[in-house]
Amino acid sequence: MRLKHWLHTLGGEGRRLAAYAADELPPAERARLAFVVEACPACRRKVEAYQLATAGLRGLPRAGLTASEAAAFLPEVNRRIDQGRSVAARPVRPGLREVVWDHPRLSLASACTAILLLIGLTLSQVQMWGLSGTAGRNGVEIISVDVDEDASVMVFQPPGTSLKIIWVFEDSST
Amino acid sequence: MPGPEERADDRTLVGRATRGDREAFGTLVQRHQDRVFNLAYQVVRNREDALDVAQEAFVKAFASLPSFKGEASFTTWMHRIVVNLAIDCLRRRRRGDPATYDDRLAVPEDGGQSLAAPDDPEAALGTRQVRSLLSRGIQALPPAHRAVLILREIEGLSYEEIARAVGCSLGTVMSRLFYARRKLQKVLRPNLDDLR
Repeated sequence: MRLKHWLHTLGGEGRRLAAYAADELPPAERARLAFVVEACPACRRKVEAYQLATAGLRGLPRAGLTASEAAAFLPEVNRRIDQGRSVAARPVRPGLREVVWDHPRLSLASACTAILLLIGLTLSQVQMWGLSGTAGRNGVEIISVDVDEDASVMVFQPPGTSLKIIWVFEDSST
Repeated sequence: MPGPEERADDRTLVGRATRGDREAFGTLVQRHQDRVFNLAYQVVRNREDALDVAQEAFVKAFASLPSFKGEASFTTWMHRIVVNLAIDCLRRRRRGDPATYDDRLAVPEDGGQSLAAPDDPEAALGTRQVRSLLSRGIQALPPAHRAVLILREIEGLSYEEIARAVGCSLGTVMSRLFYARRKLQKVLRPNLDDLR
């Protein structure tokens, strides 16, 4: 049943469950969800929590002005208008969390770009180390490489020895 | 008996206020001040801030009257101004002093009994617990999500009205509302057995 619940969640069912609990689904969809909720205890529990939240919110008491606040309200508004004073300062930029949530595609694209940049940077570092070092993966150190028209000479030194090996590559056609 | 000012509809009063009639604007303020204050309070959940936001909303409205085209009602237009100011207020508060949250109305002095059956203390306790958990959940929501939730669940606005009030797309409204509802659901779910 837990697997079934996860499958529902993966298919965007979480969103539909919330809409189902708020009674915002068209009848056909509602009937289908009713079947799902009936068969899935975890989904049912979620729906109950959604419904409790909605009922709780709708039951929150309204806030009203006290008599003195109500009496002083308009004079204060007029005073502010006359003074041309704005208590609410400049608009504040939205937080990162809201930007990320409101623009999921942009966030995903940014994350992918960051990952690609990281991989690229890592690979370029590895390549740089490979080029700058003279010792190969097996410890053989290349002393020198001379490339000429007729022949190329490479001098290298195996690990753990002072012996130097010279390879000459000749062009057999000359 | 109400005078001619009180009987005039919002559109007429807005028209006169746009032409500089302060008396007409005063009537609009008195007509909407309770609703505006309540909306501001539900978002910022602090009386002092809510009062400031509500008054500032009318100051902004007065300054912006020439740009009010009348496509939406004055109430919807005010919703937009209040919500934006309330969101800004919350963001400023989160960056400054986050400890100014006022929970008095979320858990009222009567312990929530006004909503529960008077002879059912168990139900009253449950209501109080739900409100307390909801208050914590609402407090943890980002300001913009909180505003959308309040407009939908408390003010009863449609998705389209919320989109107009908040100034975002319908998809963003749905997304924010789902996020907010899921957050509250997650807060309540572990305590569901105690609350039922």
